[in-house]
Amino acid sequence: MTVRHAWVAFALGLLLFGIQARVAAFPVDGDQTTLPAKTELNEDALDKPREVFRSEIAGGKSYSVNLGNLAFSSPSILGEVARQAGISCGTCHVNGAGNAKFFMPKMSTRPGNFDTTGPLFNPKANNFVLDPVRIPSLRGARYLAPYGVDGRMPSLRDFVHNVIVNEFAGPEPSPVVLDAIVAYIQDIDFLPNPSLGPGGRLVGKITESERRGEALFAKPFPHDPGMSCAGCHIPSGGFVDHRQHEVGSGGLFKTPTLRNADFNAPYFHDGRFDSFDQVVAHFDRVFDLGLSAQDRNDLVAYLTAVGDGALPYERDGAGASLKEIDDFASVLATAIPAGDKDIVALAVDTIGLELRELTERYPDRKDTSISGGEQERSLARTALKEIVLTLRRIEMAVAEGRINDASADYRLYRNLVAAAVPALLTRAEPWSLFNPAVHDQHYGALRQVMQSRHSSH
Amino acid sequence: MLSQRSRMLCAKNCAPGAETMVDMRVAGCLVLLMLWSGSGALKAAPLDEAAERYRPYMIEGIGDALAGARELRERAAANDLAGAKKAWISARAGWERSEVFTAGFVPELDAQIDAWPNADSGFHAIEAKLFGAGRADVESDAEALVENLNNLHGKLRDMPLPPQGLLDGTVRLAYEVGESKADGGESRISGTSLDDMRNNVAGIDFAYRTIFADALKTADARLADMVTSRIDQLKACIAAPDLPHVDIRTLRRASEELVVSLQAASAKLGLPRPTLEAQWR
Repeated sequence: MTVRHAWVAFALGLLLFGIQARVAAFPVDGDQTTLPAKTELNEDALDKPREVFRSEIAGGKSYSVNLGNLAFSSPSILGEVARQAGISCGTCHVNGAGNAKFFMPKMSTRPGNFDTTGPLFNPKANNFVLDPVRIPSLRGARYLAPYGVDGRMPSLRDFVHNVIVNEFAGPEPSPVVLDAIVAYIQDIDFLPNPSLGPGGRLVGKITESERRGEALFAKPFPHDPGMSCAGCHIPSGGFVDHRQHEVGSGGLFKTPTLRNADFNAPYFHDGRFDSFDQVVAHFDRVFDLGLSAQDRNDLVAYLTAVGDGALPYERDGAGASLKEIDDFASVLATAIPAGDKDIVALAVDTIGLELRELTERYPDRKDTSISGGEQERSLARTALKEIVLTLRRIEMAVAEGRINDASADYRLYRNLVAAAVPALLTRAEPWSLFNPAVHDQHYGALRQVMQSRHSSH
Repeated sequence: MLSQRSRMLCAKNCAPGAETMVDMRVAGCLVLLMLWSGSGALKAAPLDEAAERYRPYMIEGIGDALAGARELRERAAANDLAGAKKAWISARAGWERSEVFTAGFVPELDAQIDAWPNADSGFHAIEAKLFGAGRADVESDAEALVENLNNLHGKLRDMPLPPQGLLDGTVRLAYEVGESKADGGESRISGTSLDDMRNNVAGIDFAYRTIFADALKTADARLADMVTSRIDQLKACIAAPDLPHVDIRTLRRASEELVVSLQAASAKLGLPRPTLEAQWR
């Protein structure tokens, strides 16, 4: 292993260990929940995938992209079970990436996959077979048609519609909302990878192993010279060929992208593999490639270099939450003057839910796992609750045609979230669940209590 | 002013001058929050008499909780797990009906009795043992609960009951009822979170009808109707057979619209705008 490989392995190890240790998450539990007990949504993770938008680089997100992001984060566009459970598109596709820790009994066979034709969310879509598929990242989706693991849908719009209406039993979305969700997904970019140059070639300081891996990747298969890895994962912007293939995994599945794939585990259509090592070993076995141990290492090194991305995770905090909420709320600037009751209701419902969740990041004084900062926490909770109620007043005013009142409350909202609320949240942050020590104390206490339940049954 | 700990944190982490900037921003926030709190005309005297009509309900609720806690203590001593669970549920019902006043009027006792999640004593500590671990050896916890509830019960006859405090409590509880219960809610181990909500709403309903409804009808009949209709909506939501069937979205909307209505009502009643968190005014 080269020095660079050793560093990459060490860094990945640290990262993975850090994430694993940090997100020893608290699953859904009890016998009064909509979702099966032991469901893991990984919502309390402190490190969230970083989301890069094409339009932000170009100057700013449009109304449609913000509306799409809002709808993507809203349980209310889905069916009853999802709404009751607080599940949205964003639950699985966190900030547009995957959710490798997601696990739902009866709907998953391992963390990171989900049965879209399972019994829970839409019994009519149930095919009575537990056949979950990997939860994919949506980064760069605009380059990756056709859609679905089997590539059955050429249109992203049709695919999104199918997810909402059929897989999750949601109401028929309005064309505006459907177009907005598509605009949002198409705006999510790959994380930049400075090691990738034009034509998908590795550039910069490339190790010998990576260079050998790049050559192996393009080399024809010994028993089928018409095939190579690069024949399907065409080195390019997306590393795909937009086609379906049988690669010994039990059916025809579309070629997945290799871009940012370092962060897209588990791999294959059903998420059966945890690592590139396992993926390479599979191809070696199925296509009788005759790879040496060195060859395998070189291919993994190449895949790792291609699949890299800058700053893949960012620490969750009040700032990140408020920024996202602010983007969501920006749709009100258009929807209120237009008297668009449906969009205002969608925004108020979704943002209110997010704000209530954010409020619980500042535990109240009855929480036994946290001490200190009582006044700071109380002020933070008060401020967030006041915003929730300000938004609800906006919805009530628009519903009654009182547009001027709604506009006045929207100005109040803007003023508050511009300075006052961030200052109060910053002040309370040391005693919030954004503080890793407080986070661990709080969730450790919850787990301890819930374990008493399982240890007796 | 920043706390000593905040100052230390700031001194360690902020650039020179940043602390002053944070001070100013926080001061600005506090001013805004005070503006939020508003200042109604002080003509609440008629409500004082109405608030007195809440006292018997309060005494009865805590009395029920105390009776349940005493029964729990006895069942625990007899190692009767089923009986202890039943007594816990009974005690819990009286407590939850009384939450309009407990958080604001007796915050220290409230924090001891209703601490969460891994309390040493109180309702949830006992809940974890009875319903979680399936153990009936909760005598010492039950004894502490009896003592705390008895202590509280003894204070109720002479406790001042300012209408403002009861409006604050009603508003806070109305907001809390709308919180997500997707994770099973506060009493998820015993599976009685929906009972908590029903008793909370019963407490809100009684407090509003007894103390504020008549005065608000006189001051603003339309607003009074709005408050009543939102309470009715909450009741309809929690009439669901179990927690997973409570329409969470409608519940949250009704909860927030009730709070918005009560905030508007405070000015009509001559009271300052209600607070949303205990121990802050």
